[in-house]
Amino acid sequence: MLERIVTQDLFTRFQLRLTALGGECQQVESLQAAADLIAAHSALAEKALVIPPDFSERQPWGTIVSMLRDKGIAIREAGTPASVADAPAGLSSAELAVAETGSVLLAENALEARVVSMLTLTHFVLVRASAMVPMLDQVGERLQQLSKPGPDQRRYMSLVTGPSRTADIERTLTIGVQGPKALCVLVINN
Amino acid sequence: MGKSKTSIDFALGSTIMTLQDNTPPQPQNLNGERIEPAQAALTHAAPLPQVLAEDAANPTSEHQPFAERLEHALEDENLQRALGRFAPSWRTSRLNVFSVEENDYGPAYSFTSLRTLLRDAKDYAIEHQPELLAQFKAQAQAAGAIVYEARTAEEANQYIYELCRRKGIDLVVKSKTMVSEEVELNHYLEERGIKAVETDLGEWVAQLNHERPSHMVMPIIHKTRQQVGTILSAATGREISREDVAEQVAVIRTEHRKSFLTAGMGISGANALIAESGTVMMMTNEGNGRLVTSLPSVHVVMAGYDKLIGTYADAMTQLRLLARSATAQPITTYTTFITGPATLEKEMHIVLLDNGRNEMRADPRFKDALRCIRCAACANICPPYQQVGGHAFGHIYSGAIGLVVTPFHHGIDAGAGPQSLCVSCNACETVCPVEIPLPSLILDVRSRTMEAKGLPWIKKLIFGTMARPRLFGLLTRLASIGQLPITRGSQYVRARNIGIFSKLPIISYIASLARWRSLPTFAIKPLRDRIRTRDISYSLKPARGLNLTVCYFAGCMTDRLYPEMGEAVIKVLEAIGVRVVYPQKQNCCGLPALNSGDRRDGVAMAKQTIVMLEQSLKEHNADYILSASTSCVVTIVQDYIRLFEDLGLQGWLRRTQALQEKVIDFTSFMDRVVLPAGVELPVRQHASNESVTYHDSCQSCNCLGLRKEARRVIQDVLGLELREMPSSDVCCGFGGSTSIEHPEVAERLLNNKLSNAESTGANILVADNPGCLMHLRGGVDATGRRIRVVHLAQLIAERLPER
Repeated sequence: MLERIVTQDLFTRFQLRLTALGGECQQVESLQAAADLIAAHSALAEKALVIPPDFSERQPWGTIVSMLRDKGIAIREAGTPASVADAPAGLSSAELAVAETGSVLLAENALEARVVSMLTLTHFVLVRASAMVPMLDQVGERLQQLSKPGPDQRRYMSLVTGPSRTADIERTLTIGVQGPKALCVLVINN
Repeated sequence: MGKSKTSIDFALGSTIMTLQDNTPPQPQNLNGERIEPAQAALTHAAPLPQVLAEDAANPTSEHQPFAERLEHALEDENLQRALGRFAPSWRTSRLNVFSVEENDYGPAYSFTSLRTLLRDAKDYAIEHQPELLAQFKAQAQAAGAIVYEARTAEEANQYIYELCRRKGIDLVVKSKTMVSEEVELNHYLEERGIKAVETDLGEWVAQLNHERPSHMVMPIIHKTRQQVGTILSAATGREISREDVAEQVAVIRTEHRKSFLTAGMGISGANALIAESGTVMMMTNEGNGRLVTSLPSVHVVMAGYDKLIGTYADAMTQLRLLARSATAQPITTYTTFITGPATLEKEMHIVLLDNGRNEMRADPRFKDALRCIRCAACANICPPYQQVGGHAFGHIYSGAIGLVVTPFHHGIDAGAGPQSLCVSCNACETVCPVEIPLPSLILDVRSRTMEAKGLPWIKKLIFGTMARPRLFGLLTRLASIGQLPITRGSQYVRARNIGIFSKLPIISYIASLARWRSLPTFAIKPLRDRIRTRDISYSLKPARGLNLTVCYFAGCMTDRLYPEMGEAVIKVLEAIGVRVVYPQKQNCCGLPALNSGDRRDGVAMAKQTIVMLEQSLKEHNADYILSASTSCVVTIVQDYIRLFEDLGLQGWLRRTQALQEKVIDFTSFMDRVVLPAGVELPVRQHASNESVTYHDSCQSCNCLGLRKEARRVIQDVLGLELREMPSSDVCCGFGGSTSIEHPEVAERLLNNKLSNAESTGANILVADNPGCLMHLRGGVDATGRRIRVVHLAQLIAERLPER
């Protein structure tokens, strides 16, 4: 039960579950290491990346923006859905990750922020290692907190587990439908 | 753009894509050249070939009569193939995905534990619906959502239409919502000039072909890729591959882009309405759900009251069960939680629908069906569903749950045809993640349907006769003589032997029944006669045996059709020192009548049976009431209880409960009473080239939970080689009256079963239920197969020394 998963490395469990569903994830020691990984990823072949508005001011992620620019990546803030649709790469952050299912929790209210995770072809997600919880039970508690009425009420949250998929045609699995066709989670240790 | 793999299931670990190659494949024409959509429009100046009717396959509408839909389904080879492949693979994948969870996280995360948790959560929600509804509304409204309660389909449709009209909306994008199908929203809107586009891939393809989804979770499971390619080509005006599924999937991304960006309204469903926060939970895979609920400025959620659940903790339990039950995925790609409109620019409406749900809630039995989380596991496991698909096995809502809820949402006529397809195998109940007693609810629907529409006269005649033991006895004896011209002395009524008699009206019907499985004959000397005149020295006087008295309830089938099975049972019992008494007053337990929805005759036979068993127990001071028919045992220990509860017959209920503990089936008796007592059966080994394969009859495995018991007898006690057949626990197709009403379906189930049995190479097929054995034997005889079909008792008795 809970004991089994706490003693085992959470990230190992998370990685096992996410990769089984076609997602990708890496554990890194710093934001710089994350920036390096992203810049080197094949989705960044065109050296273009979309981020949510005001992402560069967001704690603790903001500094990655300049790190990526230093690597020659052209970064633009998401605007209308039409402007983001099928952009090769998007970057955002998650509130938490859950090892039980290999999922990350996205909780952006603003539409411009959400389209980064909905319409880009490869979606990169940053999450703190300390924000990794073992089971859905903890996720339920967090969802309850985040959806409470108040100025920071999160009205639209998604637990994302891998890239979009369908098996509607002859039960043949196809990855990449309306949502991203690739999901890459970067778990930052510091 | 995506990569496809031709794997068949979603199970963990088996469908991994590699992320190395990130090049999105471009749509290609049939020469393998890449084309851009705009280019395609120019190059294909000549008209594209017409969609061939056969390729698209005649769409089925639930407004067609049931008989037509059924016939159409039975002739649809693509459907047969698709469902035939899916069913066994889903069963395995589902077991795998649940066992992985249990292995990784412990028994608290097993299917058994989780389903009880969710059942309790849903029961609480149903019981406390008014409070939870008030809480949900208050929270949702505080977050800025507008909540509308629609009592009827008309009210729901009207509300949404009025909203469109007020805002000048003429294009609506939709993600999966069964409720919108239940009320036929699309049709309502389209009649009024509003276009509603389904954005779920399967739903969209079905919509393009003007047909309903055939499954609640996999809408186009009945369609081949060739058919899909043809439909997409016709819809887009481009030549879309008939083979490359990835290309077909890519089409939806380009075709719907404009709709998402320009639609004025997005309509979604809800998998749960979380009362504590006024939150709508939605589980999807494709990404269209999030687009539908985010992009258009107006978002409408449609959900039945039954979607209410108390807390996030409850919702997490539902999360753990839904995807695993539906498609054997551990979790869907997106689980979204929406609490009010996300921004000031958005408007959110939540339309809650009654449409018969409150009527269900007021019914002490049917309220359990409100627990349903729409996973469609009950469709996936259902043997007749596998043969006919969702268009025939249901009316909008399909699968076992569809048979239960259709009378409430769409009227008793809509459900009358589909409910007749249920064989009462009970498989659905074993996989339902909220423990809905589906089989008994379907029988309730059946009896209500019979009350409303009247039982067919022939059934009234037959069951009425069976409820009169002396008359029944007399007629079966007359039949045992009268049948001689068509049986020609054999143990079977064979189609080929009927000869010229098949010209006669009733006989021709019997000939048609016998064509695919030879019918049994009435024994000239039924078991009750053989008991009276038997030589008591059946007993082998073993050195050490059980000192027990057993009251043997043979059941009408063993008594009158297969007395030799009864003799085998008695021989085995007496060989271990059990004293067997046979109450001559025994008759039918009533199952055939109850199974056909004839409660009146069923109750009469139930009461007769109880009186007779009580008398016999008392008279002989019997330790057990034993039956070698698990159907009869289940009827007495499970169905009688429910029957008398429903009818409010407290006295009869108590009497049944008093009898219950003594009632045992032959297989359980061997396993729980005989073997633990260390009794040794004086069996002799037979020729070593004999091998056995075992059919798990539905009542034995699904109702009584028996699996290893018979196998232990075969392997350990008798020392025989056991060869497992594929799908040993799938219904043989007898299903009581269903094999008479729907012979085509029953025939296919029977042939599957016999092919599976034969594939093992075993020379003996064993089961422990006479109903199955009758069906299996008849099929073997009619198709000239070479496998011997016996009851477990006969398998043992054959290996005992002669007296």
